Amino acid sequence: MQKKDLNKLDDHLWEIPKHYRPDMRVPARVYTSEKMLDHILQDRSLMQLLNVATLPGIRKYAIAMPDVHEGYGFPIGGVAAVDAQDGVISPGGIGYDINCGVRLLRANVTFDDVQPVLEKLSRSVAREVPSGTGRGGPLRLKRPDLDLVLREGAGRAVEMGYGDAEDLKHIESQGCLDGADPGAVSEQARERGHDQLGTIGSGNHFVEIDRIDEIYDTDTAEQYGLQRGGIVVQIHTGSRGLGHQVATDSIRVMTKAMPRYGIDLPDRELACAPLSSGEGRQYLRAMSAAANFAFANRQLITAAVRRAWKHQFPDDALSIVYDVAHNVAKVERYPDVGEVVVHRKGATRAFPGQPVLIPGSMGTASYLLLGEEKSMTDTFGSCCHGAGRMMSRTKARAEIRLEDLRGRLRSQGIVAEAGSSKGLVEEAPEAYKDIDAVVDVVARAGIARKIARFRPIGVVKG
Amino acid sequence: MYEVAQHIADVRLLVSAPSVEDLFRDAVRGMYAVMRGEPAPDARPVQRTITVEDSADRTALLVDFLNEVLHRTHVARELFDGVSFARFEEVSLQATLTGVAPAAFDEDVKAVTYHEADVVERENVWHTTLVFDI
Repeated sequence: MQKKDLNKLDDHLWEIPKHYRPDMRVPARVYTSEKMLDHILQDRSLMQLLNVATLPGIRKYAIAMPDVHEGYGFPIGGVAAVDAQDGVISPGGIGYDINCGVRLLRANVTFDDVQPVLEKLSRSVAREVPSGTGRGGPLRLKRPDLDLVLREGAGRAVEMGYGDAEDLKHIESQGCLDGADPGAVSEQARERGHDQLGTIGSGNHFVEIDRIDEIYDTDTAEQYGLQRGGIVVQIHTGSRGLGHQVATDSIRVMTKAMPRYGIDLPDRELACAPLSSGEGRQYLRAMSAAANFAFANRQLITAAVRRAWKHQFPDDALSIVYDVAHNVAKVERYPDVGEVVVHRKGATRAFPGQPVLIPGSMGTASYLLLGEEKSMTDTFGSCCHGAGRMMSRTKARAEIRLEDLRGRLRSQGIVAEAGSSKGLVEEAPEAYKDIDAVVDVVARAGIARKIARFRPIGVVKG
Repeated sequence: MYEVAQHIADVRLLVSAPSVEDLFRDAVRGMYAVMRGEPAPDARPVQRTITVEDSADRTALLVDFLNEVLHRTHVARELFDGVSFARFEEVSLQATLTGVAPAAFDEDVKAVTYHEADVVERENVWHTTLVFDI
């Protein structure tokens, strides 16, 4: 695909018309600047977006956010709204890490308080929060206990003593998706998840201590208790092996079911079934249970970070600003299309007035945004979810030296605690797009506006 | 044989072999190569039997088989690089896996995807691409 194949609708929105490929049911839209579009065209993300535009029942357009990059099936940074009555649900449109998401905590201490003890604090967080591939957590849940987590999400973690009821008021869907059915989660998924609650895993997951370095909207920032020079903590993880297995199980089931429903798609990873079918309803119930596991996971990690915090600041308390998913499907209603299943894969819900958390890489800024009215008319209440990768892991390992990376982070005043040197290099800042440019696009498009910007000072990775 | 190729966010594995059974074996070895870390000092040999039934087709059989191997790897910390087939049919198989436990991991593979997977024969050589979610 070339730039000439896209129609420029305005400075931050481009469209690939429906007639570009005969199997497209709707056009595909890309939120991006012209400069970033040149880069997006270098991988297969837009071809994957065109495949999404072929889903039965898709409404209006398939959408790519400015952080879009090549994934498998859906591109990462993709949004699709599919008619809830006669459309499909596609597990590949949510991804393997169901309810991967970000939680933002606010401290009362300031950067001046934290800086002298930053290394100790980061080490303490790394000790308290289990991370890394295959690493188990503090609990080994028996079946009835796991069922309660799958059904009740973060609320169950609070009942178990990990936080308090106030926390739940500041989580998307209060930390629990309705309709979750533990019975829809396979034994294999249970086996993978029963000891992983309270762990961040590996890859791009992290716990990060940040300094608030810019406030764009003082009144709104104050409502969330944020001011320049303050400290926040981000937690980025999801449903771990349990969610991965739910997706694997469901894609297998739907791959076999599609011929029965007469569905033929250009990419097998888009495997889907009508939402009204047994397979579709079963997946939605299992996905909701896995999403609840992820909400509970971030709640346990919050408790671990709070313990670490107490070692250094016994009188301080970390409060939740917000917690939002960026890999999930939700049934939502919009005035122009009615009830739809909104698939967000590497995309964040951005309802008007809702906090939107956009984490950057370990050496660059992160943002707190607030959803705007235009998101409801233009993007099915959705926004970007991060910076978006632009360099492969293989290339990052080949081109970035660990000592150079550590040196650069140190020179920026950033302490990095990583279980794996390889993992640290793969997640280096230069492997990602310019997050400032990504956020500028969604702000200029009127999807969400900037409230505050954070800079990393302590990074804990698996 | 297999080759680890670039993918922006994940891992792409290119596999080719003289027979379809060898293709499946080399795919397991490729996944092992992506995941393995420094051997644990107490690592010991392990052997497991895995059965896959009723996949959608041959390509799905490979993806389903690798996901079964991956499940075993995650729940028992066992990494496998040896495969022998007791039964190998169009959409089902039974395999004995050999490897080591406890495994040390260098990379997490969350899942083996169907994206780009296509088991095909060209000029007497079997090929497929696999994308692993990392």
